[in-house]
Amino acid sequence: MSGLGLYTQDMLRGAVLTLELTAGGTVVSLLAGAVAAVGRMYGPKPLRALIVSYVELVRGLPAILQLFVLYFGLTQFGIDLSSLTAAFIWMCFYGTGYAIEIFRAGLSAIPEGQHEAASALGFGPITSFRRVIVPQAFTLMLPPLTNFVVLELKNTTLVYFIGVHEIMFQARLGAGNSGNPLGVYLVAAGIYVVVNVALGRAGAFLEHRAAAAH
Amino acid sequence: MSSDVVVDIHNVTKKFGDRTVFSDVSLQVHRSEVVAIIGPSGAGKSTLIRCVNHLNSFEHGTITVLGEEVHGTEDHKSRPSRQTLRRIRTKTGMVFQTFNLFPHLSVTENVTLAPMKVLGLPKDQARERAERLLAMVGLSHRASAYPRRLSGGEQQRVAICRALAMEPEIMLFDEPTSMLDPELVGDVLDAIRRLAQEGMTMILVTHEMMFARDVADTVLVMADGGIAEMGAARDVLSRPRTERVRVFLDRVLRHTASDVESPGTASSITPVGGSTG
Repeated sequence: MSGLGLYTQDMLRGAVLTLELTAGGTVVSLLAGAVAAVGRMYGPKPLRALIVSYVELVRGLPAILQLFVLYFGLTQFGIDLSSLTAAFIWMCFYGTGYAIEIFRAGLSAIPEGQHEAASALGFGPITSFRRVIVPQAFTLMLPPLTNFVVLELKNTTLVYFIGVHEIMFQARLGAGNSGNPLGVYLVAAGIYVVVNVALGRAGAFLEHRAAAAH
Repeated sequence: MSSDVVVDIHNVTKKFGDRTVFSDVSLQVHRSEVVAIIGPSGAGKSTLIRCVNHLNSFEHGTITVLGEEVHGTEDHKSRPSRQTLRRIRTKTGMVFQTFNLFPHLSVTENVTLAPMKVLGLPKDQARERAERLLAMVGLSHRASAYPRRLSGGEQQRVAICRALAMEPEIMLFDEPTSMLDPELVGDVLDAIRRLAQEGMTMILVTHEMMFARDVADTVLVMADGGIAEMGAARDVLSRPRTERVRVFLDRVLRHTASDVESPGTASSITPVGGSTG
């Protein structure tokens, strides 16, 4: 299995790209998703309708289709994105759609009585949100948010189809050239497993911290 | 009891969509007066009390709380400003049927949060206030516990402390004991009774008729979209003038052991707290 070492190196380089895409996509999606979720829940009707349509689009259309439209489709309008740029834009676009729903579900799970108690005590909407609603919603949202990061991670494999040199791209190359496809793919799988275990641990740690605060 | 009117509910009509919950309801609450609002379900008792601190808006009429005026949404007057609402809500305290304690905060934190963040009270002063209030309701030993560890009666007493920590001039109770197991009701009623004896102005929506007769100065019976009867607690509860109220009281009291009608029972109960005000 000596040949595997070379392909492993390539795949690890791909892994760096995978992780960068995952991290970048997650951060942007969570920030944009949080803002959009607030708009979705408390904004004016036209804004709400817009956000709802956006979420339905993202969740309803196949991911690959969205990616291809962005990368191949937009060239018809003279917009020529590099595969990496298109990949990142798509991951943010897709991730935000899912993040909005996670935040919305978490926020609406907080009983109306909590809002009322805060209002009755004289809290304005922003302070009540910050001190009463969000702390409670955060605990509820941690499990789906950890799942979300794993989802983003798996999404990176799709960008293989537009030529981004992430893990699967390198794995495919290695599988073809090495004559040992199983070995190569097992190494790729191993990389994903390691990342997932790390994410799982991080998620559990955060959940413990949140629970311990009570 | 002074003649100072602290809450003036004037010709208020409340609708939910097409349905009118109550119309043209008027009530004046004086300082240190205890007003009990009773009546069948759906009559709008909770809705009315929630209009006082504007948790519900209303369509017509005016509610004035300690000089702050709020108008009906369909009366073509301006909506209450953020400042007006803040002033009303910091001077009124509300206790809910479902307690609504903040589960992510300890008992003490629940009581100190609003004084610190809304009134700007420094932490040590807020804690002192919380300690005093918790001691008053007999819950000092629960100061660092979290709400989910407390019984319903304990949670409600903490909720009372949380409202009192803002040093309100008026307390609003929305069926404070309706969700409690019978044996826990007494402690909460005791706390409310003590408040009344200390001269707190209170509006209390309740199903506890004996308690209302004990503690209230005025009783308001809401039914059929309006006020069925209003008057001195003893009068309304012992000698109702309208058939509607008589039927209601009869039905309610048939489930309880004591007999409202007997003058002997009435005289054996301690005088109402409001008269000390």
